[in-house]
Amino acid sequence: MLTHQNKEPRNPDRVVMLGGNGFFGKALTKLLKESSMETLPLSSADLDLTADDAVDKLKSTLREDDSLVIFSALTPDRGRGIDTFMANLKMIENLCAYLAEQKPAHVIYFSSDAVYPLGSGPVNETSAAAPADLYGAMHRSRELMLQQTLGDQLCILRPTLVYGADDSHNSYGPNRFRRQAAKEGKIVIGGEGEETRDHIYIDDIAEITKLVLENRSTGMLNVAGGSSTDFGTVARLVAAQFDGNVEVCPTPRKMPATHRSFDITALHRAFPGYVFTPLETGLKKAHEGSL
Amino acid sequence: MSRIGFAGMTHLGLNSAVASAAKGYTVCCFDEDKDLIVQLADGRPHVVEPDLERLMGEHAGRLQFTAEVSELASCPLVYIAPDVPTDNSGNSDLTQINALIERVDEAIPADIIMVVLSQVPPGFTRDLKLKAGRPLFYQVETLIFGRAVERALQPERFIIGCTDPTSPLPSPFEDYLRTFDCPLLPMRYESAELAKISINCCLVASISVANTLAELCEHLGADWSEIVPALKKDKRIGPHAYLSPGLGIAGGNLERDLNTVISLADRYGTDGNIVRAWTANSGYRKNWVLRLLHQHVFNRMPDPTIAVWGLAYKQNTHSTKNSPSLELIQHLDRYRLSVFDPVVKAAAVQGRKLEEHADALTACSGADVLAIMTPWPQFKNVPPADICRAMKGAVVIDPYRVLSKTACEAEGLTYFTLGSPIGESHADTSE
Repeated sequence: MLTHQNKEPRNPDRVVMLGGNGFFGKALTKLLKESSMETLPLSSADLDLTADDAVDKLKSTLREDDSLVIFSALTPDRGRGIDTFMANLKMIENLCAYLAEQKPAHVIYFSSDAVYPLGSGPVNETSAAAPADLYGAMHRSRELMLQQTLGDQLCILRPTLVYGADDSHNSYGPNRFRRQAAKEGKIVIGGEGEETRDHIYIDDIAEITKLVLENRSTGMLNVAGGSSTDFGTVARLVAAQFDGNVEVCPTPRKMPATHRSFDITALHRAFPGYVFTPLETGLKKAHEGSL
Repeated sequence: MSRIGFAGMTHLGLNSAVASAAKGYTVCCFDEDKDLIVQLADGRPHVVEPDLERLMGEHAGRLQFTAEVSELASCPLVYIAPDVPTDNSGNSDLTQINALIERVDEAIPADIIMVVLSQVPPGFTRDLKLKAGRPLFYQVETLIFGRAVERALQPERFIIGCTDPTSPLPSPFEDYLRTFDCPLLPMRYESAELAKISINCCLVASISVANTLAELCEHLGADWSEIVPALKKDKRIGPHAYLSPGLGIAGGNLERDLNTVISLADRYGTDGNIVRAWTANSGYRKNWVLRLLHQHVFNRMPDPTIAVWGLAYKQNTHSTKNSPSLELIQHLDRYRLSVFDPVVKAAAVQGRKLEEHADALTACSGADVLAIMTPWPQFKNVPPADICRAMKGAVVIDPYRVLSKTACEAEGLTYFTLGSPIGESHADTSE
């Protein structure tokens, strides 16, 4: 549930993005620039949050009137072990040390729906965050660290599976399907692809974040489209982008199928009338963007 | 005995008092609110219930309204009957009832029987500190908003909480109860207090089952309305079971009892998680119309005008406590809304100026979408053909099946209702 701190939406003075050179950061930077917002995307090369001098660099870079968006994280493709977990916590430890001294006008933390266990019915913001792996535990720990530092002045966004042309990760889903189709002429799915997930297009992430920035919203929100689709259907939709030359190949199921769906009433309440990109449209855009 | 007293002229107290007058008793009706007493003495009830005003008029000679507590002293039996207010989470505020009991106890002799009729938590009655020797009972109220008079005149049974359920009830009390010609079930205070909550938990369990399975119907191509008759023919479920899907629990009373069970379960370390699940399901169902609008309307119509029929939380009542209609309206800030309710005025919607109309058909004139949020019986009489002519668009959201689905679809309306397949007849809701 979000609370809008601005009575009327207005542009923030400047939006600083930590991890601004990644998939989410690039999409947001592009959208904000189109809206003539001042942006400062920072990559880990610009500001390494794990470094000893991170706090000093943050002090010299950030201003009090900044809106800060935190994308920085080592994602599972960079490792799922304890070392990755600890490095991720170190980033936020340094950031919290800075935030304890100087609070920007607005802070948005990009968490993940990995904080929720699978198979627990429609997820909403009151669902128990009981992560099943270190990646989910990392995000939940970071949320708590930031909440302890910033209190109710923080906005936490928990996006579900995001797809788009510029995604550098290769996790199971639309992005991998597209690459596999282009490279191998086939898409391999687990079982018949029965698992259902909520897939959202990267532009929706950027649009929702822009709304959060304009309203200076605080609280917590799941960013999902509210409609779940099975991987088999997603694979066939991706395959259809390739003029019928791509085969979807089921494999014997090794694990029971799991499902995830979202009750996005809180998002409807926060941003009435926001319409998500339909899956078919988003997949088409992702395909065209990758050509 | 032909005289009986009621203290607290809220919904519960007034309906119970009027029902007693209708049974031939002279009823002393006490409330501290002098303006309210003047209004009631004038035959104008402040609550809406079918037949209430008529019965007040017919039995006015036996209804004595007073703001003087001492007048209760002439009644051998006095009911304590104010509604106990709750917050939106169902937490009871017992301040007023405690103050009222203290005041009445001081004002009437110790031999007068006192009966607590209000919605109180288990343990409340036994903990009361009254004059020594005061006969004290707790009686379960089973008021249903919109059917309060009917229920008060024709109770299914009386559940009576006593200090000693094996002792006979005092004759003035038993004689009064026997007037209603229904079974008497004496039990200890705590059992009676929990019996009331148990009844409501069973109702909520049924409603939750209906809501859960009706939602599945919407996705599976099944129709819940076809399943319900099969369930009602099952003796273990029964013909009167609450199996109509709805937009979550509202009105305040059921929410109060669920909240009480959760609090008690937490306090005593028992498992109350199923009750938490009912509460969560209720909250989820409350937003069915909002979700539907987003999923099937707003993505096709960017700026629809929405007509809302009904503001009350259910039909035949003025109450808007936890009303799904008000909850919906609260989240449609950016849209043009026109509303009509036969009883509740649009001013009940705080923080929002609404376009209010004098009748249902005018309210939907020029609208793109009609949402029937309260199943007032008079809405059934509006022909779908007239709705179709009045509206600019063709989307009708009718959670409670007030209108005939077949008749609406025959008129070309795109019709959505709870428990019926979504997407069956409305692949395209655009104009």
